[in-house]
Amino acid sequence: MGLPPSMQVEESEEGRILTISVGPQHPGSGHFRLVVKVDGDIIVGADPDPGYVHRGEEKMCEYRNYIQNIPHLERPMIADSCGILYPFCLGVEDIANIPVPERAKYIRVILAELNRCIFELYWLGIYGIFLGHSTMFMWPMGDRELLIDLAEAATGARVTHAYFVPGGVRNDLPENFKERAIRQLDYFKHRLDQYKDIFYNNPLFLDRTKGVGVLSAQDAINLGVTGPVLRASGVKHDIRKIEPYDVYDQLDFEAYSMNSGDSYARAYIPLLEMYESINIIKQCLEKMPSGSVRTKLGPNPRGAAGESFKRVEAGRGELAYYLVSDGTPKPYRVKLSVPSFRQIPAMPHLLKGAKLADMPAIYWSLNYWPVEADR
Amino acid sequence: MSSHGGQPEEGSQAKAEAKPETQKPVEIPPLEKGIIEKITERFGDKIKFVYAKPKRIRFNVKTEDVMDFAKFLHDEVGFDQPISVAGVDYPKENIIEVVYHIGCCTKPEYTSSVFAFALRLPRDNPKTPTLIPVYRGVEYHEREAFEMLGVIFEGHPRLEKLLLPEDWADIPPLRKDFNIKGR
Amino acid sequence: MATVQEFSFAEFVKSILWLTFWILVIFTLIILPIIFIVLFYVPAPEIAGIEMNPYLLLTMLVNPEIGAPLINLTLDQPLFRVMVFPGFTFAALFATAIIFVERKFLAKMQVRVGPYYAGREVFWWARSLEGLLQMLADLLKLLGKEVILPSGADKPIFWAAPVVLVIASSALIAVIPAGPGWVIADIDVGLLVVFAILGFFPLTALLASWASNSKYPFIGGLRALHQMIAYEIPLILSVLGVVILSGQLNLSKIVAAQEPYWYILLLPIGAFVFFITALAELERVPFDLPEAESEIVAGWLTEYSGMSYGLIQLASYIKLYALAGLFVTLFLGGWMGPLPLAFLGPNAPSGVDMFGVELLTTQEAVGILWFVVKTFGISVLMLLPRGINPRIRIDILLRTGWAKLIALSFINIFIALALLYLGVAGPAGPVGVISP
Repeated sequence: MGLPPSMQVEESEEGRILTISVGPQHPGSGHFRLVVKVDGDIIVGADPDPGYVHRGEEKMCEYRNYIQNIPHLERPMIADSCGILYPFCLGVEDIANIPVPERAKYIRVILAELNRCIFELYWLGIYGIFLGHSTMFMWPMGDRELLIDLAEAATGARVTHAYFVPGGVRNDLPENFKERAIRQLDYFKHRLDQYKDIFYNNPLFLDRTKGVGVLSAQDAINLGVTGPVLRASGVKHDIRKIEPYDVYDQLDFEAYSMNSGDSYARAYIPLLEMYESINIIKQCLEKMPSGSVRTKLGPNPRGAAGESFKRVEAGRGELAYYLVSDGTPKPYRVKLSVPSFRQIPAMPHLLKGAKLADMPAIYWSLNYWPVEADR
Repeated sequence: MSSHGGQPEEGSQAKAEAKPETQKPVEIPPLEKGIIEKITERFGDKIKFVYAKPKRIRFNVKTEDVMDFAKFLHDEVGFDQPISVAGVDYPKENIIEVVYHIGCCTKPEYTSSVFAFALRLPRDNPKTPTLIPVYRGVEYHEREAFEMLGVIFEGHPRLEKLLLPEDWADIPPLRKDFNIKGR
Repeated sequence: MATVQEFSFAEFVKSILWLTFWILVIFTLIILPIIFIVLFYVPAPEIAGIEMNPYLLLTMLVNPEIGAPLINLTLDQPLFRVMVFPGFTFAALFATAIIFVERKFLAKMQVRVGPYYAGREVFWWARSLEGLLQMLADLLKLLGKEVILPSGADKPIFWAAPVVLVIASSALIAVIPAGPGWVIADIDVGLLVVFAILGFFPLTALLASWASNSKYPFIGGLRALHQMIAYEIPLILSVLGVVILSGQLNLSKIVAAQEPYWYILLLPIGAFVFFITALAELERVPFDLPEAESEIVAGWLTEYSGMSYGLIQLASYIKLYALAGLFVTLFLGGWMGPLPLAFLGPNAPSGVDMFGVELLTTQEAVGILWFVVKTFGISVLMLLPRGINPRIRIDILLRTGWAKLIALSFINIFIALALLYLGVAGPAGPVGVISP
């Protein structure tokens, strides 16, 4: 009997190549389509096809003024909403010359680090699913709820905070935030130790991720990848250290990098970063001065004509905004340079020659968030 | 500016910078001065210096020179990490600007700076050579600029729709004459 | 689309009469002749000295004292053994219980609750039985779902594959002794029957995936084939040690031969290899590549929905019971408890009896109890890796199966031979060193 008609098979010199669409509706891809050509078990080509959830964020920004842009700009990355709003606020403050009170800067750093942990836990959970480890999904999701409770106490919403505004933050932290945060962060640190033992030392996890999808430093820089992916290949490039914004230059923390460049390194660095986030949040809670948290702005804040380029280390890497203003309250052009979009060229590069079973391990270790890449 | 670290002279410089582009800024920090001198020594009049804020430099380049410029920037000056490629539409001047932002990962003195160079292309025929041979990471950025603004990158291996649906029949959406329905 | 009909009493009465008519017709024209024909050839059993007649049958329903001998008679029938215990009904109930235990057990490991709501609102005293009726709810749900046939699928094989899987799984339990004398088929080559039936599974998985006419099942079926074939060989080799020491292929006699020491104490490596290969045969985590959800949606059973899917899951869990039962039979002493029967004391009941008729002897009852407890324990042990491990990759799997496990099995065989020649254990019991 012949081959079933549904399989698109192409005859080629090496043999038969099967084209699989790890499509937008797939438990292994999120809202993202990856067309993979497989020869037996080896991938011979991969073609990323983003755009399933493209909503035209950049065009929408041109129709709203700076404050109206805040709620919809955080939607591409709702799990890390403070991270994606941060450079926007910095850029608008640059253009319109808005001063930020000191207390607001500390609160911004606290929320940004909290969001980084929230995103990294989600990412770790989904990595567990991709590798077939259901406990590695359930535990981070459960622990994430504690951090989301903290964020909800501060901002009023669980994930879509809309908390950062040009000029500071929307409202002050509640009174018992510090005690509550320290208690929950201590428990979280204890859980991170458990993750290190149970998940990262698991021999099957090591088999699946060590040596898989090795990205050399030269390739990493040239392809433009960023964040933990870049740091896992040996390039020490953390925006919080290189170009400190807000109060990061007054805090004492480490930016980790590893030399192996494989999926294990890309998975291990977020864990180390979460330890550092706990450290940073505790320092900020100690050092925070009192005062106002927001500069009062007029109804339609505007700046002179000009441009500004601000970048921030979000959970996935370097997030940058290129803002062009023409002197009106509405921005002339807002270009989001999101880390997920920058990791896309690494996918065909790393997947070629890998086994089909490595595809989830490599794809998700690139810290790719489909909604953010599509904007 | 509080976002830079709170030094007053940079604030005034930024304010001075906010005036129209043709005016030179009051004072250029030494690091950026070194880069600017290196580039102007090599290229002279072919490129146009726009501004130099602390850690941000911008030049305007022509399409004939952009390949040499990019190679020089990558090999000699040391900016090797492509950050973003943005297209901006200026219908009043009949120009589409393609701005490349490049960062540095290897030289420790330059890592905090971002170098921007822009191509000003005529709006009815925006064509420019692709920079993939120099910076591999701009491949998908250029594809997005193509579909959103209509800029054609000559030599690009695959100039197709990336984010928009395949059956998009309207003008490129980020152009100013494209209006979102109802606004 | 059907329109909703108004309720009409006349229609209701008419439907009831129609139903009664058909029941009477079928009973009179078909069932009564069958009873007469059967009674013509099969002599009716004798109860309390009276031959069975309908009056006696109806009396038994209200007077269990007379019914006890009939129950005793039923327990000896081979049909009872096949259908109820230790046959299909017991296996299916055990499989259902194991599915429920798996969900609860994994949930507790993962800081969750598991099935919680099904059964909570049924009775006020059932509040503590969280989710106990979940399996019934799932069964009803699967029965109600539409079975979608993919276009271009090979219809006969597509429909037949789940049924063949259930048949093969159930055939495995025919040779496993659940108690002394309680085995469906007491064959002298029982172990070979097990291996022969195990050869059905890779083939059926491949046919099911092929018949689905889709890429994901195709890849999943090939992986299932590779995995099961690679791990059948260490499975068979690890059991060889048991065969050497007991000299038998009959499973009931293997259990009896473990009287002095259970074989897990003598052959721990063989037990270990058997356990791992059983996990691979069952496609359980970490060996669930054929069903790898994140890469190939659901592997070779992607296109199955509704009751076909339910049948495949049933087959999978009956196979779990079968392989756990096999492990208990071969290595853990089957139905033998660790304590001798005299432990119960002189006043122990002589058996399970009902109104003076003995249904089971004490030895049988205790044996069945120990078998069920041990099989349950081993099944739970087989469920455990699902909460601990990620999925393995195909090349690591094949390398482990073909190289490391076969090597371990051979070491196991050498240990068994050494034990035999040193006279520590063997078919003839501990006899001391055999002189050359």
